[in-house]
Amino acid sequence: MSNNRPTILIYTLNVDDYLMVEEMCAGIEEEGLLYEVKRHYFGVLEELSYNAANESILGCGIGVEGGRALMSLRNMDKGEYVFSLENPSLSQCRKLGANAARAVKRVAFHDLSD
Amino acid sequence: MCKLSIRSCRYIREKGRSSLKLIAGVDIGNSTTEVCIGSIQDDGSLRFLSSSCSVTTGTKGTLTNVEGIITALKEAVGQIDKRIEDLSLIRINEATPVIGDTAMETITETIITESSMIGHNPNTPAGAGQAVGLTLNIHNLDDYSRTGKIKSNNDYILVVDKEYPYSKIAKIINKYSSNYKIVGLILQADEAVLVENRLDKKIPIVDEVRGVDRIPEGKLAAIEVAYPGETIRMLSNPYGLATLLNLNPDETRAVTPIAKSLIGKRSAVVIKTPYENVKENVLPAGEIYIESLEGKNYKVTIDTGAEKIMEIVSQVDSIKDIHGQECTNVGNMFSRIKKGMAEVSDEDEIIRISDILAVDTLAPVPIAGAISGETGMEKAVGIAAMVRTKMLPMERIARALRERLRIYVQVAGVEAVMASIGALTTPGTRLPLAILDLGGGSTDAALIDSDGQVRSIHKAGAGEMVTMLIQTELGLSSRATADEIKKYPLAKVESLYHMRLENGAMKFFEEPIDPRLFGQVVLLHPEGLVKIDEEDISLEKIVSVRREAKKKVFVTNAIRALTEIAPDHNLRNIPNVVLVGGSALDFEVPEMLMDELSNYKVVCGRGNIRRQEGPRNAVATGLVMSYVGEG
Repeated sequence: MSNNRPTILIYTLNVDDYLMVEEMCAGIEEEGLLYEVKRHYFGVLEELSYNAANESILGCGIGVEGGRALMSLRNMDKGEYVFSLENPSLSQCRKLGANAARAVKRVAFHDLSD
Repeated sequence: MCKLSIRSCRYIREKGRSSLKLIAGVDIGNSTTEVCIGSIQDDGSLRFLSSSCSVTTGTKGTLTNVEGIITALKEAVGQIDKRIEDLSLIRINEATPVIGDTAMETITETIITESSMIGHNPNTPAGAGQAVGLTLNIHNLDDYSRTGKIKSNNDYILVVDKEYPYSKIAKIINKYSSNYKIVGLILQADEAVLVENRLDKKIPIVDEVRGVDRIPEGKLAAIEVAYPGETIRMLSNPYGLATLLNLNPDETRAVTPIAKSLIGKRSAVVIKTPYENVKENVLPAGEIYIESLEGKNYKVTIDTGAEKIMEIVSQVDSIKDIHGQECTNVGNMFSRIKKGMAEVSDEDEIIRISDILAVDTLAPVPIAGAISGETGMEKAVGIAAMVRTKMLPMERIARALRERLRIYVQVAGVEAVMASIGALTTPGTRLPLAILDLGGGSTDAALIDSDGQVRSIHKAGAGEMVTMLIQTELGLSSRATADEIKKYPLAKVESLYHMRLENGAMKFFEEPIDPRLFGQVVLLHPEGLVKIDEEDISLEKIVSVRREAKKKVFVTNAIRALTEIAPDHNLRNIPNVVLVGGSALDFEVPEMLMDELSNYKVVCGRGNIRRQEGPRNAVATGLVMSYVGEG
């Protein structure tokens, strides 16, 4: 897939996760970056975040599946991640989005705990 | 002054000491207790076996030191598979009868009554520019618009707490902005950009304001958000404030402290309250009185700054006592120092301060009356003071130690002399030689000339003063953090795979590092990277504060002390200076001193006691060596 916009990519499988994804988008937007959400029809979580990070021009991606989320950066091995959330609160999702943007901006991360 | 046979210490060829096998030298310092173990061979020669260093328990010179001594002894004998009972003799230093203390006092203070300002650096404010209007809480918007309390010709600044999500806020503002003039927004949550992106008409938005509930309603307020890469211009300028809030000349004068404290901020809010009463108090800083042994009195006002104070101090030949004017900041500071020292020394003794080191500094102090804990940089002066007591009760420690361990314990040797003997084991040194002991509480210097004559001097101010200056200037909450900043170099983690060191070099990692460290300023601690738990202090700022603090204390004191002991008070008459003591281990202080002393053609460097100990263990080593020398 080719994509020329400087966006953080969020790859998701399940529409049930849309509330989480919405908050992540808000987190990225508040930090002043662009995002793109793409729905996939197969794959596992580790693959989603790995592909998102490697296909993003900014080198940063999030995979969301079944109430779990992983944030990865380009050049990390498959299965490696910077942050991982399981059944997170909405404010944690917001912070994860902000942290993805902050990884690009090289600014210190938010603490993800509630 | 005292005379020693130093050569006999260095070349030990003594016989007939076979009854004594192992002897320990113990140096109790302000922060560490050091031990050196030596054995006397059958031919009377000395062999050094091991050494150790542990934290001094309690204040130097008190009985609580015994625990620390035993810990250090255990460690040292453990290294050679012996027990403490195997020791034949323990020699402890006749500690320099000086104790040091530090204090800091701010001279100016800003008080804002009828709280009226917010100034901070949110990460992502939105909609650059400024706006003026009456404050209005979003909760009351519906009610007020129904009852006609909101006038369509007034400008309003909306105050929103974090209960409202960004989409709802944007909807409300878009709905009302056709009828009313909403010119600015103060948000509690971090959602300025999110709200702005959804507004039909862009307005300046300040977010991350924690204390929105403390903003009074219906008051005239001015908000400003800086343009990217800039800091605010209008609210940090008294005339800008006067323009926005229609202030008369007297009011403009009164808001100057607000403008001053908002300098350098990226966003700010100033609210005009009816009884606005803002003032900058200059506290009575007071005078310092110096009494000389000859009975002369000198006085200096603390307002004149550290340089003037130190000039007066250097004019006094021998100081009898120093005290501060009563009921002033300085007076309180000196009485606090004296009270603290009275607890350490004998009760019946009158505490007399024999030297001070004054340093100008700036301290961030919370502004009384500000809404979200803003601070202002206030002028402050830091003072290290030193008290010469009759004699620290080392005999008492020796007795306690003797009873605990059932080993003969001896108080032996003046600290400065012992340190000099120890320092002579540094390769490349010869007499005459000066040592500079950079300790925790005081900076000590001693000069041994070719005949073995020793002159020594103690000056107030050393490592602890540096820690205090770092803590106050950076506004750190913990002393321990300041102490670590003093000890270790810094780096900024720029990605998960690399960091930039403070000298500009890069360091790369094979494995991604802990994400909590990403983007943070970290200390290069020997046990790994340590995050500095304070927000928003840049690496450059920390480095400059740290280096300045060290220069202000150590370089000033080194010159002061060495000038005093140098023949004819001329530094050029000292050929060699060896740095010993804990602060000589510092990663930049020795270089700073070397740099400064090279101006006087003095060879100066970190000591290397017994070719292996570095600048540590000089006194303990001297204690063991002098035992043999005494024979």
